[in-house]
Amino acid sequence: MALIQLKELSKIYGFGDATVLALDEVDLVVKRGEFVAIMGPSGCGKTTLLNMIGLLDKPTHGTYLLEGRHASRQRADRLAKLRRDRIGFVFQSYNLLPRLNVLDNVALPLAYKGMSPVRRATKASDILEIVGLRDREYYYPRQLSGGQAQRAAIARALVNNPEILIADEPTGNLDSTDSKVVMELLSDINRRGNTILMVTHNPELTRYAQRVIYMRDGRIVGDEKTRLGEVAKGARRLYYKLRPFSDDEILSGVSALMKRVETKPSSRRNTKKKAKNA
Amino acid sequence: MKINIYSGNVKSAWYSLRASRVRSFFTMLGVIIGITSVVTVVSLGTGLKHQLSGQINRLGPDVLSVRSGQINASNTSSLTTLSLLGISSITPADVTTLGKVPQLKAVAPFDFVTNTVTKNGTRLGNVFVIGTTPDLASVAKLDPRFGNFLSGDTDSQNVAVLGSSVALKLFNELNPVGESFNVDGQPFTVYGVLPQSPGGLLSVAQTDFNSSVFIPFSTAQRLNAGHADILQVLVKAADSKKVNQAALAAQSALARSHPGASFSVLTQKQLADIANGVINTATKFISAVAGISLLVGGIGIMDVMLVSVSERTREIGLRKAVGATNRQVLNQFMIEGLVLSVGGGIIGILASLLVDLLLKLYTNWQPVLDWPILVVAAIVSVDVGIVFSAVPAIKAAAKNPIEALRSE
Repeated sequence: MALIQLKELSKIYGFGDATVLALDEVDLVVKRGEFVAIMGPSGCGKTTLLNMIGLLDKPTHGTYLLEGRHASRQRADRLAKLRRDRIGFVFQSYNLLPRLNVLDNVALPLAYKGMSPVRRATKASDILEIVGLRDREYYYPRQLSGGQAQRAAIARALVNNPEILIADEPTGNLDSTDSKVVMELLSDINRRGNTILMVTHNPELTRYAQRVIYMRDGRIVGDEKTRLGEVAKGARRLYYKLRPFSDDEILSGVSALMKRVETKPSSRRNTKKKAKNA
Repeated sequence: MKINIYSGNVKSAWYSLRASRVRSFFTMLGVIIGITSVVTVVSLGTGLKHQLSGQINRLGPDVLSVRSGQINASNTSSLTTLSLLGISSITPADVTTLGKVPQLKAVAPFDFVTNTVTKNGTRLGNVFVIGTTPDLASVAKLDPRFGNFLSGDTDSQNVAVLGSSVALKLFNELNPVGESFNVDGQPFTVYGVLPQSPGGLLSVAQTDFNSSVFIPFSTAQRLNAGHADILQVLVKAADSKKVNQAALAAQSALARSHPGASFSVLTQKQLADIANGVINTATKFISAVAGISLLVGGIGIMDVMLVSVSERTREIGLRKAVGATNRQVLNQFMIEGLVLSVGGGIIGILASLLVDLLLKLYTNWQPVLDWPILVVAAIVSVDVGIVFSAVPAIKAAAKNPIEALRSE
């Protein structure tokens, strides 16, 4: 049985002239243990899709089966408990509570489960060991580097042993070194059997995924299996589209549009396409 | 299991309140002031009542107070009681009439002469110079500390018995017997000094014995040039078991000898009821005003909590994302509001204990802090917390997690 199954899932925001179709009859099946990367331009519905899967939002139409059970028609409190026990969230901006130390931050989901403070601390401490922050337990979030903060956030997401880990641009605020550490960590977690859904803009990160989903205008427009360690084909295309100019051109500060006059017709067509994409 | 959730909430409430100490303190200040003022006002009222019943016990149940005007003891509204302060229609002839009633064994008028005395040209105000008969000693159980009380021998003489604080203020010594001072320009000799009496803000006789100067009734009539201002006449029943009969006899004797004027003969119990009524009304009124400050304090808590909820929207979103149910978020903010109001309540109770101590040390008021009022204060502070953090907490619980997480 599929872990996550979406059938013709739609989400409409607003009403009247301001209606936005954030998700347009999305069908998706995610199996247990998959590492799925979701890519696509801003506003294509990636985050909405993650919010649906993460039970933070309810679909307007369609069904969401989590382990074969209707997940979207539950009451708010039931959804909160499902989130607590089944789903871990990692955000771009870490979202650690500034007034709590790392240990209390990581133990937060356990508190809502009603676990005793001692057991909470023990369990949070064990998880921090896994992400390599055992020695930072009593630090406050502001005292951590970006990479450490994100690892603490991952520890928090893992503390309840959730099956699904939802990461919305987990490396968006990190430099390449920290990104690598965080991605290696997510990869490890995936090997332990957790299903990971990750939104990213960075094609490099598809190296860690087994499957890449491309979205546009609320629809899934591509679904590609990829080998670990390789940048996905679609992502590679995107990767090169994102860099239309040579470094020299960027350094000279001259717009490609002004240079177009001198280029050959073939490359001019390319430039047009790029402009359209941008 | 539930306990852990709550203890975690108290801890997190403590963290978030500690993080903004100054703001938390000022938020609590409204509740602190409200609780302190209500508790202090009520304890002052209770203290007055205790003083009053102490005086009644001191005078004894067989002492009656004759006053002018219709005073209905069963109707203890404040308006009726105000007539106690009106101009008296009791005449010296009435005092003589009362002296002839066989059911009474002692008659002591309170003939107000003036409220200032002088000594070597120095004025001393705020005293009651009162003409009375030697009977007052037995009626009010007065036993001079120095010298003697008025007697038959001192009739019409310029002698005076001083209350203890008058003696101290006028002569700056404890025993000024034999010294002289002036009342209405006439020289008077100190004949006796009364011991400190447990009077207070309000006394049954409406006279604080400590600041009284008693002179012979006949002397007072001479000073007043025939115009008597007899506030009241204290009389003592001959038979302490027939107090009501004595009251009726006095009433009818006065009605016969002085037709047209109305008199009330009140037992000490009736007087106490009237005074208690006044005190209760005043306490209720002032407490209500103080209660408004408690209300404002509660609104202050609500305000700060609302700001706190919108400031911490992101935190609420995160807590919901990691699995907090609406109820758990609600509890968190309810408990935060409760910590504020109960904290304010506890500090308020401590402050009122301090105010109580200071009043006892530096004033002659004697507030009585009963534990029921402290319990009520504690309960009220809990109620304020529940009522005024409900709106912010409901608002927090109702937040949409996605929008909350997206907010800055």
